[in-house]
Amino acid sequence: MKLTRPLERVLRVLLADPTAEHYGYDLMKATRLPSGTLYPMLARLQQEGLVHSEWEEQRPDAAGRPPRKYYRLTADGARVGRLELAKVPTPPTSTRRVAARPAHQTPRSAL
Amino acid sequence: MSAAPRGQRTAEWLISAACRRLPADVRAERCREWTAELPAILTDESIRSSSQRTLRALAFCVGISKTTRQLSRSWRASSRRARTAQWRSGGLPGRPSDLAVRLARGLVVWLVVVASAIALLVTQLRPQDPHAWPLLLVVALGIGFDGFCVFDIARAADVRYLRKWAWVVICLAQCPLGGILYLSIGRVGPARPVPPTDTRP
Repeated sequence: MKLTRPLERVLRVLLADPTAEHYGYDLMKATRLPSGTLYPMLARLQQEGLVHSEWEEQRPDAAGRPPRKYYRLTADGARVGRLELAKVPTPPTSTRRVAARPAHQTPRSAL
Repeated sequence: MSAAPRGQRTAEWLISAACRRLPADVRAERCREWTAELPAILTDESIRSSSQRTLRALAFCVGISKTTRQLSRSWRASSRRARTAQWRSGGLPGRPSDLAVRLARGLVVWLVVVASAIALLVTQLRPQDPHAWPLLLVVALGIGFDGFCVFDIARAADVRYLRKWAWVVICLAQCPLGGILYLSIGRVGPARPVPPTDTRP
């Protein structure tokens, strides 16, 4: 697996809280990646067993919204992701921007 | 707010069109997953105007189309690899030299057949003969052989290296050669129980 810039962004977002579950649009916004880049990558990560996906249960307060599919890292994925990110010496500017951007929404652990 | 439902309908249509590229067993689930993202985009509070949200949803669909193209390409490649592995392991030993041996044997058979047909025609055909039985015999044998090959391809559960229709075309286009090539390299023999002790070293 080659650590490309988009993959690095996805891993940073997913590793911010390895147990958190994200749906596709949520990840698109957090990583600032277009769907045409994000979904093939998620499919590949899922095929390699690094990402797990799950349908959400239909909640009564969903107000007719169809159930979404949520993605999160597997234990394996978290381990591999940390190893891969450790190879990157310093976070380049683009990822710092990504990490800083959603800070007003959810507090994130220091990356 | 008439733009949002229309935008959503268009986006749903685009997603279902893109999903048609996917293999049947994952198509419905993928389509459901991506359609379920649309409400989040179309009600995204961080995008100010509703027309911008619609544009965002349509851009999402373009990305989905790109995704399905990529997924179907990798799916085709992996199924091709699996089929090749199956052919190699199916029934007959899969050593590379095996193919060459079979090909050479087929070509030898072809040479013998063509040579004997020419010999038959040269020695037996009389221009003044009204029935010209050697010619009729050669043509009848050719048609019968082609018929046998096509019948065999149609009956076979699987053939090697090419699709069935391609083997049929080859058999019909090159009368004795195509059929001989099919029988020597393209045909998967009748399913035999593979003995547990393989002859390969």
